[in-house]
Amino acid sequence: MEEVIYNFRNQTWLLSAHRAVFWKEEQALIVSDIHLGKSAHFRKAGIAVPANIGQDDLYRLQKLITVYNPAQVIIVGDMFHSSHNNDVPLFKLWRQQFPHIRFKLVKGNHDIMPKQVYIDIDVEVYDALQIQEIHFAHEPCEEADDSKYTFSGHIHPGVAVSGAGRQRLRLPCFYFGRNCSILPAFGRFTGLAMLDAEAADAVFVIANNSVLKIS
Amino acid sequence: MKNTASGWKVITTWLAARDRQPFAFQEEAWTHYLQGKSGLVNAPTGYGKTFSLFLGVVIDWINRHPKDYTSKTKNGLQLLWITPLRALAKDIARAMEEVLQELDIPWQVGIRSGDTPVSTRAAQKKNMPEVLLITPESLHLLIGQKEYPKVFSYLTTVVADEWHELLGTKRGVMIELGLSRLKGLAKKEGRPPIKIWGISATIGNLAEAMDVLLGTPDPQAVIVRAKIDKKIELQSILPDEIEKYPWAGHLGTRLLYKALPIVDESRTTLIFTNVRSQTEIWYQEILRQCPDLAGALALHHGSIDMELRIWVEEALHTGTLKAVVCTSSLDLGVDFRPVDTVIQVGSPKGVARFLQRAGRSGHQPGATSKIWFLPTHSLELVEAAALKAAIAQQVVESRMPVILAFDVLLQYLMTLAISDGFHAGEIWVEVRNTFCFRDMTEDEWQWLLAFLTTGGDALYSYDEFKKVEREGDFFICRSRMQAMRHRLHIGVIVSDAMLKVKFMGGGFIGMIEEWFIARLTAGDTFSLGGRILEFVMIKDMTVLVRKSNAKKAIVPSWMGGRLPLSPNLGKILRETFNEALSGNTTTPELQVLQPLFNLQEYLSHVPKADELLIEMIHTRDGYHLFAYPFEGRLVNEVMATLLAYRLSKRTPITFSIAMNDYGFELLSDQPIPLTPDDVYELFSLDHLNIDLQASVNSTEMARRKFRDIAVIAGLIFQGYPGKHKQSRHLQSSASLLFNVFTEYDPQNLLLRQAFNEAFFYQMEEARLRESLDRIYHSKIVITYPEQLTPFCFPIKVDSLREQLTSEKLEDRIKKMRPEF
Repeated sequence: MEEVIYNFRNQTWLLSAHRAVFWKEEQALIVSDIHLGKSAHFRKAGIAVPANIGQDDLYRLQKLITVYNPAQVIIVGDMFHSSHNNDVPLFKLWRQQFPHIRFKLVKGNHDIMPKQVYIDIDVEVYDALQIQEIHFAHEPCEEADDSKYTFSGHIHPGVAVSGAGRQRLRLPCFYFGRNCSILPAFGRFTGLAMLDAEAADAVFVIANNSVLKIS
Repeated sequence: MKNTASGWKVITTWLAARDRQPFAFQEEAWTHYLQGKSGLVNAPTGYGKTFSLFLGVVIDWINRHPKDYTSKTKNGLQLLWITPLRALAKDIARAMEEVLQELDIPWQVGIRSGDTPVSTRAAQKKNMPEVLLITPESLHLLIGQKEYPKVFSYLTTVVADEWHELLGTKRGVMIELGLSRLKGLAKKEGRPPIKIWGISATIGNLAEAMDVLLGTPDPQAVIVRAKIDKKIELQSILPDEIEKYPWAGHLGTRLLYKALPIVDESRTTLIFTNVRSQTEIWYQEILRQCPDLAGALALHHGSIDMELRIWVEEALHTGTLKAVVCTSSLDLGVDFRPVDTVIQVGSPKGVARFLQRAGRSGHQPGATSKIWFLPTHSLELVEAAALKAAIAQQVVESRMPVILAFDVLLQYLMTLAISDGFHAGEIWVEVRNTFCFRDMTEDEWQWLLAFLTTGGDALYSYDEFKKVEREGDFFICRSRMQAMRHRLHIGVIVSDAMLKVKFMGGGFIGMIEEWFIARLTAGDTFSLGGRILEFVMIKDMTVLVRKSNAKKAIVPSWMGGRLPLSPNLGKILRETFNEALSGNTTTPELQVLQPLFNLQEYLSHVPKADELLIEMIHTRDGYHLFAYPFEGRLVNEVMATLLAYRLSKRTPITFSIAMNDYGFELLSDQPIPLTPDDVYELFSLDHLNIDLQASVNSTEMARRKFRDIAVIAGLIFQGYPGKHKQSRHLQSSASLLFNVFTEYDPQNLLLRQAFNEAFFYQMEEARLRESLDRIYHSKIVITYPEQLTPFCFPIKVDSLREQLTSEKLEDRIKKMRPEF
């Protein structure tokens, strides 16, 4: 089950074990919290984390684009981790493979680079984005407004699952709340923040290469 | 030589004038020292071990300057005295200054530790005292200063005090590396070799301890033993009704009423507990039961304010305190003469540690050290009996030296890089001549250099890694930012992120671990430093609190500090059960425990020394398997993992694993496939290595080990003081780094070190083999009790948990439910 089809709000959502959502009706690939350039940022400060994490994240995104062939890629914030470093030109080069695909970034707290940088790499930047009745915003918000539903990221959601014999596991998840969903962080150099699954309408955990609904 | 040398005469005359004469071992040490030898002095605390070396240095000085030793000043640093604890330094400095003053030698004695004020440091830099007492961390900080070789250009002698405490720790490795540089400097500048001496309490491997300190074998080196038989008397505080004394999970305060009269009759009592949280609880409880002690009772542990600690230590000297509740922070050889009684609360987990603590009382030569043992749960009384046997048989643990600690080496190389830079060829030779790194390969060395200059071998064109610059054979760090950051994190003691605790109106109280505060909400009360405090908020990495009058408070628990049972004590423990079973024991602890043993025998079985007991119990929680190898927590954990793995090969099954020092538990949601016929093969030595590697736990253990390694090697960014905000994009957890390295850089040397540490130090593979073999050839008794037994109860309620599975992750999740 590398992906799960979730019919929600009369739309078709493919939840991929590669930490992305494909919105079929809009032909949109949705990811959040890539944190590109994070390892480069660390390395620039003399902290020797592996150098190729950013490259690998882009490679995984490339594979998803090849599979779903989307018309647009929506990034729900924290596309880059910090200030300018060499992962920006790397992305620019990578971006040239997909000139026909629009990249839309909904600004997150880590997206701090000047506007011109995003123009140079051909990424449209939005403070918030609305497509049909779906609202995209980086930080989750649970304001009750039944006319629209928010897709967010920011917190790198995870849930703890437990079983008999006092087993306990922490897994990244897709979290669907009453008015807002929270997407898992796409970048691999990210941690997890534990959420309460009970408050959610639906939670899908990512376990290795599978997506499993747990509530 | 002895009688013609003027220095010797000066010293013996001075001693005689005070009606004292040197101990034989002191004279022996002086003689060896004067012959230019290095070595190790083995002596218990309170018997002049400091003078056995310090006076040797003084004699030598007088010999070399017979005419002007009373007037010669500004002589540069002569003697470097490395001590593990700041508290020790003050005491020793005081003793040395007294001697120098009476001998009219105008030497200065300085202290250098994390607490030394900046002004003193600056003064020291201008004019080094002749004697400098220093912690391993501060020694490295000195080496991290520009033009540091000048500081050491007159150095003749280095003494590593309390070496048994540092051996087997990464702080010990810091000393090895520091010494390698000091020796290298002397050689380079054509000075005579530096004399290196250790001072150690008795441990099982004294000769090895000396080899580690000296780095390369020195045929001239000597071990000087003080042949002083210190008398130690152990007496347990026994519960009146053992049936009513808790089986587990208690802190011993129930027996406080029996300890108070002991405190009352003594001049000053030290009450040792094993963890800081217990110290707080005991302090509160004593005050509650005995309000008269207010003002005469104090608290001492590593997390309270330094000034308060110093005050406690001073008060201990002057004898104004009636009792101090403390942890290992007061373990070491501070000589508090007024202390005449020691109470150990809970098991000390090792013979050497126990002897050390017992030695805190009756410090005067010839006095008997008396120590009271207060059990926190019933079975601990068996440990008291075992300790008695161990003392009688003079069984003392060995300390295993640390090997190939690349994290410490990386930190050290960075330290050299931020001072004057280093030549790789020169440092390679020095480092390879230490015990810790004598087996380091050329490849590993090159990897370390690459780690500092290019950030590992994963080079690609877009990389901007910046740390140390390489100019041929010369390595130097020119970034002031990097240098500042490195200075702030020199050291190898890693604790959780600690936050300062302050009153709203100012006033520092102590430090507390971040994860503990994270669980509190405003208005909650907790206790720290013996005070009850109300949590207000966290601001700028500081926890703001106000005073509270609440009666009940949450007691913070500090991670770490859970010491495993030593192998020696484990063996004696098994023999002690034999004695208990005989029914005619004369040991009072075992006599008291008889009803408990009877219950255990009635419900299940009491194992003999040549038996292993396994209890299979079914409760609401699931299916339990309890086994009791008495091998200490670490080995028990590995054995549990191994058993779980081997059982899981029989059928897909998931276990949760728990362990303590006595035994371990496997808990599953399905029946455990084990019968008396197939139990022996679980303990077989066949395929042991493969099975160990395959057990998931090695990864989890390595992950835990990696935490310290990542911090020591400088991978965890700890921020600059007062610059919290700018650095938030550089924060990551060790666990995340572990995942990232495992996935993207599995050959990383630091990752490999984490696995090695897990295997060799935690798993103690050799010891595991031995005990598996013992069990395989012993009788395994399986019982099926209807209810929990006195033996299994402590494991069930009071232990650390791990898990192991052979089910597919997806299948497991289907059986689980989210946590609410």
